[in-house]
Amino acid sequence: MDTYARRRIVNGLVMTLCVAATGFGLLWLVLVLWTLLWNGIAAITPALFAQMTPPPGSAGGLLNAIFGSVVMTFIGTLIGTPTGILAGTFLAEYSRGSKFGEVVRFINDILLSAPSIIVGLFVYELMVVRMGHFSAWAGAVALAILVIPVVVRTTEDMLNLVPSSLREAASALGSPKWKVIVMISYRAAIQGMVTGVMLAVARIAGETAPLLFTALNNQFWSTNLNAPMANLPVVIFQFAMSPYADWQVLAWGGALLITITVLFLNIGARALASWSTFKQ
Amino acid sequence: MPADIALHRVSAGKSRHGAAGDFVFRHLTFFFALLVLLILSGVIVALIQGAIPALRTFGVAFLYTDVWNPVTEKFGALAPIYGTLVTSAIAMVIGIPVAFGVAMFITEICPIWLKRPLSTMIELLAAIPSIIYGIWGLFVFAPFVQQYIEPAIIDSLGQVPGIGALFAGPPLGIGILTAGFILAIMVLPFISSIMRDVFETVPAMLKESAYGLGATRTEVVLRVVLPFTRIGVVGGIMLGLGRALGETMAVTFVIGNAHRISTSILQPGTTISASLANEFTEAVGDLYLSSLVALGLVLFVITFIVLSIAKLMLLRLQKRAGG
Amino acid sequence: MEAQPASRQKVLIRNVDFYYGTFKALKTITIPLHDKRVTAFIGPSGCGKSTLLRVLNRIYELYPGQRATGEVLVDGENILSPGLDLNLLRARIGMVFQKPTPFPMSIYDNIAFGIRLYERLPHHELDDRVESALRRAALWDEVKDKLGQSGLGLSGGQQQRLCIARAVAVRPEILLLDEPASALDPISTQRIEELIAELKTDYCIAIVTHNMQQAARSSDYTAFMYLGELIEFDETERIFTHPKQKHTEDYITGRFG
Repeated sequence: MDTYARRRIVNGLVMTLCVAATGFGLLWLVLVLWTLLWNGIAAITPALFAQMTPPPGSAGGLLNAIFGSVVMTFIGTLIGTPTGILAGTFLAEYSRGSKFGEVVRFINDILLSAPSIIVGLFVYELMVVRMGHFSAWAGAVALAILVIPVVVRTTEDMLNLVPSSLREAASALGSPKWKVIVMISYRAAIQGMVTGVMLAVARIAGETAPLLFTALNNQFWSTNLNAPMANLPVVIFQFAMSPYADWQVLAWGGALLITITVLFLNIGARALASWSTFKQ
Repeated sequence: MPADIALHRVSAGKSRHGAAGDFVFRHLTFFFALLVLLILSGVIVALIQGAIPALRTFGVAFLYTDVWNPVTEKFGALAPIYGTLVTSAIAMVIGIPVAFGVAMFITEICPIWLKRPLSTMIELLAAIPSIIYGIWGLFVFAPFVQQYIEPAIIDSLGQVPGIGALFAGPPLGIGILTAGFILAIMVLPFISSIMRDVFETVPAMLKESAYGLGATRTEVVLRVVLPFTRIGVVGGIMLGLGRALGETMAVTFVIGNAHRISTSILQPGTTISASLANEFTEAVGDLYLSSLVALGLVLFVITFIVLSIAKLMLLRLQKRAGG
Repeated sequence: MEAQPASRQKVLIRNVDFYYGTFKALKTITIPLHDKRVTAFIGPSGCGKSTLLRVLNRIYELYPGQRATGEVLVDGENILSPGLDLNLLRARIGMVFQKPTPFPMSIYDNIAFGIRLYERLPHHELDDRVESALRRAALWDEVKDKLGQSGLGLSGGQQQRLCIARAVAVRPEILLLDEPASALDPISTQRIEELIAELKTDYCIAIVTHNMQQAARSSDYTAFMYLGELIEFDETERIFTHPKQKHTEDYITGRFG
């Protein structure tokens, strides 16, 4: 066979494989989402939002789990976001070329991809052992530790995008540095920073492993942050691995809820990001 | 007139106010940056502390002993370590070529209007939480594999002398291969997204000169783009590997949770994170708990090394690009 | 130029050197700036004219590795002395940059930002100050109905006038203009030049420009710089009609750019 013809065949083959690879990736996305919808929709009833997690063999809902997830995600975000923003501000505004800044940035990126189960172990040793019991506080702290690296990264990246001429213009008016950062740089970067927080929340909304060792689970309704608290991921874990059919249905329902929330946040964050670049 | 308004101006008091604000803010941000370091150190310290009883009892043999008996309190990490490494290896073998194919498609073949929506969809694969993959894997994928895929593999590859042993055994659906495959789907968006980013950094002129010589698309990508971006590509792969090593929930549901090493990848096994997820809350006895924490320490060390290498490679790429 | 009241020296730049790291960008610059007059700095790219401007409000101190030696006397006080409060200094000296830099806030807040830093004014007084600054910058009529809208929504020329209004709102003594019209279309440029002519009745103005005709039109004094050195400084009319240095003449007649 002529070389050129062979090259063309090889090219055609590779191109086809690339298309196939992309189709392959999309196939699983569609499959997972479809079966999630198919199995989970049966569980989406008003009872899901009104009743507590039942013992096996009876009907029930996921209200305590939903509540627990919302509360711990909220507190975790509340603790992690300002921490991440301030640390990211340090990296962007105060650490020009310093070794310390480089080390923090490096460590932060490691934490970003580190296994979340390790974070769960850490908070277990730090809080659960010390306090003598599982608690929602420990769960929230574990989630906060997962939020921090995401927010640090996006804050630093967004602040670095603020043009130096804007900072100079504020300094030229006699503004002290902290006001330049808080009143000018933050305002300029706000959309990107909000996107970062949304992505961080999306990340922790579905996390199971860190909650397994910290907040554990609670069969009943509880608002006591100092005690184990029900949460969607751990409930799904427990119910799905069980042999009981009605528990399994609830597990699918919970999974659907989490996925909708996470996808909503992700797509929302992307939309916000492209809307802001479009505006400029 | 400017001069007398200058008198109006708040005197030295306000300037000291600005300086105080600067002092506070600077130190506040420094403190929280330090906190990031402290968290990591805390993790290391906590893990070591918790693992010490087990390490003292079993020594280095902990790493290569294949035993896991809560009753006799004999623990060895070989089975979980083996499972972690093999499932991640399977994930890489499947995931890397697919990620490459996706990245190549999006950067070179895809029409412009499709790029953004397609990238978003692939990235949604990364957004889906691990536990979702887990229950999907357990209820949908594993049964399917058990009914159709595994029998086919056993009948074909399982009959080949030599490597046949790798694909032997009753079709269970769950097991190392299934877990590895689901891991591949989970890490593919991470690897693909980094590959895409580094592919886009290749200067258009470089590619155009290759096209200008009559090279086919495949040749341009394999001979020009890949060599140019290889550091970043390897960095992205290492990042994917780091993720695969630490994945917990998806693996826990489909790996079968058997503390044993089988030759066949169609058999159940366990990984470090799956063992932790399954056993930690029920573990009684200090040595049992400590052994689990020691497992966590091993996982942490492995992922820390892999992620550090990934980060260093990506940093080198940034520096080379003039960042 | 019509007859003006006699002016005194507001600023004396004396033996100023400037370094970017080890690179010496300004060499022994000595120039006076007269009050209520416009002093233009001209010269080819890289001659140091912007660098010199940035010495005057010590904005270079934001960046490590940049430093200035020598003296800059403002009303007799050396503003390069180490103990000086930089924020207070910069509140007395206004700066407008090459590219318009409106803050990401409303037009009103843009103007009020500088005022609020140092003065605690009751609401109506602040309104008056904002209005008078916008009038000074010849922008009031165009924005008076949309003070609450973002400054980013204005056109390029309007944004630059916003920046000028922002600078004069804090009632500085000196105005530094770094190629204020170079990013603007000809009509906006003309309006800016008219503005400068009005503003000089109240301020000591230093303007950097690469547009020689602009310098000839708008300024009272001109300094020609080349490779970090001051080649010639004189009244504008004399520099453009009878330059003393051959180098100056070559530049003005376009023998090099």
